[in-house]
Amino acid sequence: MRIKYSILISFIGLFLLTSCEEEYIPVRSGDGPKYVVEGYIEAGEKPFPPYVILTRTLDFFSEIGPEEFNNSFVHDADVRVSDGTLEVTFTEICFSELPPEIRNEVATQFGFNGDSLQIDFCVYVDPLNQLNPQIGKTYDLRIMTNGDLITASTTIPQHVPLEDIHFQAPPGEPNDTLAALRVGISDPPGVRNFYKYFGATNGSNYQTSFSSIVEDLFFDGKSFEFQLYNPATTMSDVEPDVFGLYIVGDTISIKWTTIDEAHFDFWNTLEFSNANQGPFSSYTRLQTNIQGGLGIWGGYSVSYYDLMVEY
Amino acid sequence: MNRPLLTLLYTGMLFLSISGLSAQGKHTINGYVKDASSGETLIGANIYLENDASYGTVSNTYGFYSITIPDGKYRLIFSYLGFQSHVEEVNLIQNMAVNINLSPGIEMQEVVVEAKSEEEDDNVESTSMGRVNLPVEQIKIIPALLGEVDILKVIQLLPGVSSAGEGSAGFYVRGGGADQNLVLLDEAVVYNSGHLLGFFSVFNSDAIKNTTLIKGGIPAVYGGRLSSVLDIQMKEGNNQHFAAEGGIGLISSRLTMEGPIVKGKSSFLISGRRTYGFDLAQPLIAKTDFAGTNYFFYDFNTKFNYQFSQKDRIYLSGYFGRDVLNFQQQDRDFTFKLPYGNSTATLRWNHLFNDQLFFNLSAIYNDYQFRAAFEQEEFAFDVFSGVRDVGLKFDFDYFPSNEHQIKTGFHGTYHRLTPNIVTGNAGETEFESSVKPKYANEFALYIQDDWKISPWLKINIGLRGTMFQQTGPYTSKITSDSFGSGEVVKTYSSLEPRIFVNTSLSPVSSLKAGVTATTQYLHLVSNSSSTLPADVWVPSSELVAPQRGWQYAIGYFQNFEDNTYEASVETYYKSLHDQIDYRESFVDNSVDQVEDEFVFGEGQAYGLELFLRKNRGDINGWIGYTWSRTERTFPDIENGRTYPATYDRTHDMTLVTNYNINDKLTAGLVFIYATGRTYTPLERLYLIDQQLQTDYGPRNSLRLEPYHRMDLSLTWTPKPESTKKFKSHWVFSIYNVYNRKNTFFTYTDFETDLEEGTATAKAYKVSIFPILPSITWNFKFQ
Repeated sequence: MRIKYSILISFIGLFLLTSCEEEYIPVRSGDGPKYVVEGYIEAGEKPFPPYVILTRTLDFFSEIGPEEFNNSFVHDADVRVSDGTLEVTFTEICFSELPPEIRNEVATQFGFNGDSLQIDFCVYVDPLNQLNPQIGKTYDLRIMTNGDLITASTTIPQHVPLEDIHFQAPPGEPNDTLAALRVGISDPPGVRNFYKYFGATNGSNYQTSFSSIVEDLFFDGKSFEFQLYNPATTMSDVEPDVFGLYIVGDTISIKWTTIDEAHFDFWNTLEFSNANQGPFSSYTRLQTNIQGGLGIWGGYSVSYYDLMVEY
Repeated sequence: MNRPLLTLLYTGMLFLSISGLSAQGKHTINGYVKDASSGETLIGANIYLENDASYGTVSNTYGFYSITIPDGKYRLIFSYLGFQSHVEEVNLIQNMAVNINLSPGIEMQEVVVEAKSEEEDDNVESTSMGRVNLPVEQIKIIPALLGEVDILKVIQLLPGVSSAGEGSAGFYVRGGGADQNLVLLDEAVVYNSGHLLGFFSVFNSDAIKNTTLIKGGIPAVYGGRLSSVLDIQMKEGNNQHFAAEGGIGLISSRLTMEGPIVKGKSSFLISGRRTYGFDLAQPLIAKTDFAGTNYFFYDFNTKFNYQFSQKDRIYLSGYFGRDVLNFQQQDRDFTFKLPYGNSTATLRWNHLFNDQLFFNLSAIYNDYQFRAAFEQEEFAFDVFSGVRDVGLKFDFDYFPSNEHQIKTGFHGTYHRLTPNIVTGNAGETEFESSVKPKYANEFALYIQDDWKISPWLKINIGLRGTMFQQTGPYTSKITSDSFGSGEVVKTYSSLEPRIFVNTSLSPVSSLKAGVTATTQYLHLVSNSSSTLPADVWVPSSELVAPQRGWQYAIGYFQNFEDNTYEASVETYYKSLHDQIDYRESFVDNSVDQVEDEFVFGEGQAYGLELFLRKNRGDINGWIGYTWSRTERTFPDIENGRTYPATYDRTHDMTLVTNYNINDKLTAGLVFIYATGRTYTPLERLYLIDQQLQTDYGPRNSLRLEPYHRMDLSLTWTPKPESTKKFKSHWVFSIYNVYNRKNTFFTYTDFETDLEEGTATAKAYKVSIFPILPSITWNFKFQ
């Protein structure tokens, strides 16, 4: 869909033969750091407890180490989430404060290997899931820290499940070790729907794919089938001919979510910004729903699909 | 057109023409000024009395002139830069037609002495400001990127004009956007003037006769864009004998053929240009997975004319050009096709109603199309956008007396603007975006008088009335009302005064001042640092107001040493209203209606331009310097903070020199120095989903390092004295002689491993054109 991007990729090859690049150090801002919120709240199947990661931005250094990351976490903030009737104060958990056996388990939940984790990751959570998030409800986030107020609001929309999930042979030359994942949905008519997915392979953590979001601009109210890339093969270092494909014999899991518009806009600008660098492109500011900072407070309605890669 | 506006314009015309009707004891000399060798009409030739240059005129776009003077015996001088002047003795007792053929070459000594070189001080004498005329011969001797002679790159070397980027044919004039330049090819609008992402322009210099850039005082005859007019005329074709010219270069090869159909009366021109780099590489590509991949662009120009009589002639001209990219990857079963380009056609009829009234009727068609089609197995995706205009234009040139030259006319255009319309299918499911083409009528009525009030005071006063109607079929986004085909949805109108005053301070110096009001109804908003073929033109509509601008300029013009040197200092202030940009955080998914993503604001630009040009001698050329500021303020962008535009350049200096070493060798040099382009800096990093992201600082708050570059060329004509019909020469050129690494773009590369607690963040500056030598062989047969 990123038409300009594709065109540029095609053209730029013509000029790269003569181009020359030089590293430079960007000028540092004199305005100091900003707050960054990354918080999610899930409802539906196997919901992950709501949590908020509160950090400060980092200056541009060409090498960033554990100390800079550790110092970026904002501690002792007053983090509250309200659904309109119930307000829950989140508890700050830093991994270094947890007993080793719990620490490893929690780290795994957040996508880390607890044994090798080199930073003291801190997160504000609702550990007892007192909020019990529900589809259709709106959740307001309110953070007070060092006299600064940060707020945000998100809605967990109605869920639209995947219907037909199957693997098929990849396009192009026959290859029986790789597979493309095709899925279908029946998009509800008359409302704008926004979707995002995550993928996990052989029990790994759920990863975000390149091009992980889609809206129903084209297929509002239709039954629509499309391809879902394998996050593990959309990294920049994979060979072009395996890009987005799955390996036959693996077991994979898809976490399929429906999100609200502001949440979609955040990921949409993030993916566009990351993909759209280079000549002719302009900068893209990530669209945030956070008042008083950067980042995202996003609601998900979730369903999971586990299957073997075969066709 | 509303009635008061019509009345006003035509009352003005009648008033101004009264003095012409009362010209008793005077008669008119009229005719055409042509190139003797080819029969091409000469635009902007000077015609004046030898003993009193205040009696004079200039040939119009069709080479026609008319001068009304008291009866008597005169020596009438016809002159044109680069041609031998001609003296015609006339005994004026009745209206007479005098057609003059000028021969190419240096000035006749006799005329230089006797006429005191008055022929070349049009820059001082005329009321026009910020106007530069570039005959194609001048353009061809300037060093060119990869030897590809390019009109649009030469005009970037003029003060007040800046380049859209390294090697780009896109240009910005006096702080206006790229879409604010009216680019005309034989009166037809060219909506996308670039090939290969704008690195080369669509104008094949072999088919071009003349280029005029108006960056300041846009006369009332032109309209529809805020910033500038680039008026390009194609050659008519040699009506004396058959001729051919062409060349073989690194990028493209060219062939132009022209000749008489009926000698002296009718001629044709056919001209083509095509790139072939990828064609030559096809055998290599065919062995790879990318077999079938190719890229090329081509241009085709043609023109026919027929002179029925001294009073009637017709011209038919056309242009067709395309960029074609086909990308194929066999092992992914992937194809991507990207054809885009312009086509234009102009049919013109010139008619002389009488010796003082010249009429032109033009029927104009132009079409810009862009298509991108992806296909992979069951998935297909096709995007189409474009602009198509059909227009009719009437122009009257009325020469009632030596004091007045009146132009008036009407221009009507029907526009169809197709936004990105996406169609496609995923397996059995077909999809199509809901956006539809938009339709509009645009009308303009204008009148202007170039009025010599006294020997020292001239004024060009003009008024242009415009009206724009968005028409159906359309469904209102505001009221949900449906409009049928042709039904008017929204109407805008505008009155645009244009006033330019020239006060002669001496025979060789003058002070000029001007006010120009302009309105622009079609807009192209680009999210990139330059415009791209996929950018979409949108009309003014119920959602988008027209852009409006005012420009105030004042300038001092002086010629030195018998007009060998001409110099000028011009300063300008521009206020721009209802400017358009994309909202912040805009994501171009190419399917939304882009108008929904627009925000509106104001702009201003001001600057000072110095220009010194040496017209004659073995060493000639010019130096231009511009100091300028260009700012934009949008309430919805950074809460209304005023920021410098992307094309703001504080200092911009160019030096263009040609040196005729001897008959065989001519050297050319271009040097450019400009303040670095503005950009939006990345200021902070932050983690989302365990990956680093960028937080940008204020828009355009930093600048890249200054841009500078030197190019050289050497033209070698092995046998300049040859009397053979076939002649050839070689052009050797070097782009970026001292291999300056001018930043073309910047990018960042982040690697994050949060588990390890490490990340590397790299920022790079990329430059694209290092020192690039090239060689071109050109030939002429005549």
